[in-house]
Amino acid sequence: MSLIERLGTFGDAKVWYDNIPLESEYTVGIAGERFLRAIKDRGVILGTVCPACDLTYVPPSMYCERCFTQLDEWVELPAKGTVYTFTIVTRSLDGQALDEPEILAFVKLPGAHGGLVHRLTTAKPEDVEIGMEVEVVFKPQKEREGSILDIKGFKPT
Amino acid sequence: MGMRKVAVVGAGMTKFMRRAQETGRELAYQATKMALDSCEMTLDDIDSVALGTAPDAFDGVHMKGEYLSDGAGAWNKPYMRCYVGGGTGVFAAIQGWYQVASGLFDTCLVVCEEKMSSCKPHPQGAFLTIFDHTTERALKPNLIWIFALEMNRYMTVHGLEKKDIARVAVKNKRNALDHPCAQVAADITVEDVLNSEVLAWPVQRLDVSPTSDGAASMVLAAEHVAKRITDKPVWIKGVGWSLDTAYWTNRDLYYPKYVESAARMAYDMAGIKEPRKEIHVVEPYDPFDYKELHHLEGLLLCEKGEAPRLTADGVTARDGDMPVCPSGGLLGVGNPIAASGIMKLNEIFWQLRGEAGKRQVPGQPRTGLAQSWGDLMQVGCVVVLGI
Ligand SMILES: [Zn+2]
Repeated sequence: MSLIERLGTFGDAKVWYDNIPLESEYTVGIAGERFLRAIKDRGVILGTVCPACDLTYVPPSMYCERCFTQLDEWVELPAKGTVYTFTIVTRSLDGQALDEPEILAFVKLPGAHGGLVHRLTTAKPEDVEIGMEVEVVFKPQKEREGSILDIKGFKPT
Repeated sequence: MGMRKVAVVGAGMTKFMRRAQETGRELAYQATKMALDSCEMTLDDIDSVALGTAPDAFDGVHMKGEYLSDGAGAWNKPYMRCYVGGGTGVFAAIQGWYQVASGLFDTCLVVCEEKMSSCKPHPQGAFLTIFDHTTERALKPNLIWIFALEMNRYMTVHGLEKKDIARVAVKNKRNALDHPCAQVAADITVEDVLNSEVLAWPVQRLDVSPTSDGAASMVLAAEHVAKRITDKPVWIKGVGWSLDTAYWTNRDLYYPKYVESAARMAYDMAGIKEPRKEIHVVEPYDPFDYKELHHLEGLLLCEKGEAPRLTADGVTARDGDMPVCPSGGLLGVGNPIAASGIMKLNEIFWQLRGEAGKRQVPGQPRTGLAQSWGDLMQVGCVVVLGI
């Protein structure tokens, strides 16, 4: 048994406090740039198409992960979809109770083989079900900054 | 040893740059696609993928191996990530090698990526926390001053002056002028190095490689596959790696014994008895100019303390008797940590195939060596390639 386990408080053992003092600045990348600009400027969801594999990537990728073709065909997808799965979150990241439960859903977009994970807004938890039809809610254009949070979430249609 | 012959059959890399717009995944894709295209292979021809990338903190993505996997061509394939700090590049090639040498797979992609520009305020902040958190971190170590201690010891033991070391930076940055992917190629003089800003004596600004974004990849194949793919396979003749104590205060700093151990392992496997005569072109790890000298000595390519004189005499120039870092090295091409090790292997691959263009060394080299170094300044990784 270590000293720490036998002691009531850390203060009785020598410890050194420190942190890993880093921040990160992520470029959104070649495909990400076009994806987020389309959301910000035009309020549309873009995907990339691999003709060889007959797949449409959302969020768009600059390459097909399955056949490694560089993807140059971009399509605009309908800003709506179907709830594939969801959860209702009642606790924050550090375990505190949330004032309002938050609904998070993975929504499949028509024509894409993937989809987007985002909040489900204006739905009551008891009304949410897998398979329900939802649509994208964008922030007003002047509030958009080129972030995935330019999408407020999905709402039931 | 019952192991199969393994060839390098394809190579690719991105430009090394200070700040790439591409994500790490996109960089990995570009280098890997180029490597596959170079040997007219597709992902269908690849059995497994070995990825190397240095601290997660650089890209700011925990589990960076998983993050990079699809860009590295690993979708639905056996995949591994390895990591020994700065030594990762050549180490990753060794990981790929034994996947094929063992007979487990016929082909393996080796992919290395680093995106250091994501890390704020500076990647040195990520290095702070590689040291012992109780005895060393309190002094706020960074790699510049840790290496300065080693460099000073090396200079003092051999009675060297700064100009003896600065010649390496001059040579490598000039060599890099001929590398299309180079980040900090320059035509500079020894005086420029000696007049550059002192960062931590004796380390000055131009003694040091830059922080970089980039990726590099290679394609490995077993003998029967390699012969179908190319009539110019480059064989992995020997591999070696070794770690010394992680407590850098417990070893001689003037001489990298662990590099010697790694080199001896690789030479034994390759059947090399006299490295100085049998190795025709060398890419030792050169994140700092003195490290090229340090490593040439550890690789048994010259006597201890002799590397500065060989440099001054032009022996290590691209047209010298033993060309060293004809690519331009990390000092000239750049240093996206893991990717720089594959850049070095790719350079030997191109040199042995006679495909290095303006960087081609004379004399039709038949055997070359790439080496990387890192972790807590105590890992040496060596691969000997030959035709
Ligand atoms: Zn595809």
